[in-house]
Amino acid sequence: MFNPIVILQSIVSGILMGGIFALLGVGFSLSWGVMKVINIAHAAFGILAAYIAYWGLTLYGIDPILSLGLSLPLLFLTGLMIHRFLIQPITRAREIVVASMILTFGLAVVLENIMLFAWSADERLITTPYSSQSIFLGEIIVKISSLLGFVLSIFGIGAIYLFLYHTHTGKAVRATWQEPEGAALQGIDLERVSMIAFGLAIASAGAGGVAMAYMYSFNPPAHNFWLIFLFLVVIVGGVGSIFGSAIAGLLIGLITGVSGAFFPFQWINVLLFGLLMGILLVKPEGLFKR
Amino acid sequence: MRKDLLTGVLVLILSLLFGLVSGALRGSSAAEKPIVIGGSLPLTGTFAATGRWVERGYQFWAEEVNGKGGLLGRPVKLIIYDDKSDAKEAVSLGEKVITVDKVDLLLGGYPGTACTAVMPVAEKYRMLYVSMGGHMKSFSQGYTYSFGSPPLMGEWWYLGFFEWMKTIPPDKRPKKAAVYTMNNPIGIALVESLYKGCKDLGIEIVIDEKYNLPLTTADTMITKAKQMKADLLFANGMFPDGVMTLRACKALDYSPKAIVQGIGSVIPEWTKELGKDGDAIFSGTSWHYKLKYPGNDKIIKVAKERFKEDEPPLYFGFGYAWMQTLQQSVEGAKTLEQTRIRDWLRSNEVKTIAGNFKFDEKGLPKPFVYLTQVIHGNVELIWPPEMRTHEPVYPKPPWK
Repeated sequence: MFNPIVILQSIVSGILMGGIFALLGVGFSLSWGVMKVINIAHAAFGILAAYIAYWGLTLYGIDPILSLGLSLPLLFLTGLMIHRFLIQPITRAREIVVASMILTFGLAVVLENIMLFAWSADERLITTPYSSQSIFLGEIIVKISSLLGFVLSIFGIGAIYLFLYHTHTGKAVRATWQEPEGAALQGIDLERVSMIAFGLAIASAGAGGVAMAYMYSFNPPAHNFWLIFLFLVVIVGGVGSIFGSAIAGLLIGLITGVSGAFFPFQWINVLLFGLLMGILLVKPEGLFKR
Repeated sequence: MRKDLLTGVLVLILSLLFGLVSGALRGSSAAEKPIVIGGSLPLTGTFAATGRWVERGYQFWAEEVNGKGGLLGRPVKLIIYDDKSDAKEAVSLGEKVITVDKVDLLLGGYPGTACTAVMPVAEKYRMLYVSMGGHMKSFSQGYTYSFGSPPLMGEWWYLGFFEWMKTIPPDKRPKKAAVYTMNNPIGIALVESLYKGCKDLGIEIVIDEKYNLPLTTADTMITKAKQMKADLLFANGMFPDGVMTLRACKALDYSPKAIVQGIGSVIPEWTKELGKDGDAIFSGTSWHYKLKYPGNDKIIKVAKERFKEDEPPLYFGFGYAWMQTLQQSVEGAKTLEQTRIRDWLRSNEVKTIAGNFKFDEKGLPKPFVYLTQVIHGNVELIWPPEMRTHEPVYPKPPWK
């Protein structure tokens, strides 16, 4: 059914959704790019932030966006601690990528079970007064919750970009990522820089988690579903590329949204993962990795 | 001679004494030896939340039976292993309870995938297996020891909805239906009664699409339904995708005459998390605590007092109803001999909190599913009329 309204609506919804995928994925890409750490627990931290937002809203009526004032510093500090006590000891491993995957897989399992114990497996939903409100642009409708998630994404990715490109520490992070030995020779403290980058990555997972919770119901095991988008964003956008993550997120959102207007919905995942395979074959380093 | 006589009398007395003592011992041992009922449930993993409610239903039944003197005069003891939400593990544990633990009776499992996998094991060892089953396919394999009491039958899911819809004047019925179905065995099972019902009532299905889980967006689906002017929406999904679909309906201002949700709207999370937006949604169920069958009042009381649940969870009731069936079969057959219990169940009616059932050769009762609707945050029974707890809300009011 090639209905212009359906197509336009799908494009709008796809872009908004894609922005949120990008925010969730950008920190994952950062820790993979800078530290060669594939953090399987990344999305689980997003779920943790979603729970903080949920309980803040349910118990005290705090808007989920405001809850980030608590969850972002908390997750940043958690990221620093995890890096210091879990990641640093494995940096001497020959296969740090594999070692980090195994370690963070364990971390994800632990975190999931702690959340299950604390909050059970019940599905939770962030319901604010604007959750199902929309802005009407003729026949095209913009969901306020998706728009908020998208705006959060712009701020989140923008902040990471500014940090990396316009602060001394951010430049040190990039230098470490591009040439660790050269960065060390320039007097950059690799461990400190990596620790800050990891803290930042975990904090960004929190922002992404809250944005995702505006769209999806969640429970502790839901991070396994969110993890799919992380890999998609990084593989399509290129490891460590902030710009790539942003574009990849939008692209994935658009494909997911728009393909439903042209093809049966059951083909969406086939198209999405077909794209992923195609990119891996043609440009295995990702579309935007220089 | 006298000596021989004395020896004989002594032997006789000792024999009698030994016989009496050993008889008494045998008697006391038989009285105390429990009937062991075993199986597995998903106590950890994906289905743990529901599995634990089934377990609580089983435990409550056992407590109650033991409090009333046991089953066939013997106490019951449950052995419940954790299959970690893995159907393969459920099969291994099914074999284990039969061959190693040598249980007297089998416990039904959860979810449908585990039941489907354990049903052939029960058949192989000729053990009675009462569970929800795994939809019609699992009951169509020729098994003779498996019973659904009550079953969870996707293929019957919308029987109640269409029976009720027949009572709506034809000019007020929906004309066009949009059907979105999760692409898995549960979703596929749901559409059978839907196709038949729409055909019988002359409702045209203008959209009939499947989607893979997890659903990433429902916006495009709902935009399509709105553009096609479908005035009946079937969202054949579960809680996460159901919530997305409903939120998309509201955000995109799509108000059909009725929205029918596959699974998910009868659990407390639906009303708790969605609030008023979750109202007026129809669905089906095989058990509800408001059903007017004896025992439901007790279930409500226990759920409230022991588990602080205002509404007894669905699978707490299911677990209890399956055990009621097992209990009545054993008491009816007056034996633990499996084939005799099965034969009794084949030819007699059992009375459970979910209904009174007689079974066909597949091990299924007469097709039934109760129609529910969420009204003012409560799951109400709409059909059959004798079970109705609230007048239905139809057509669905526009979004506020």
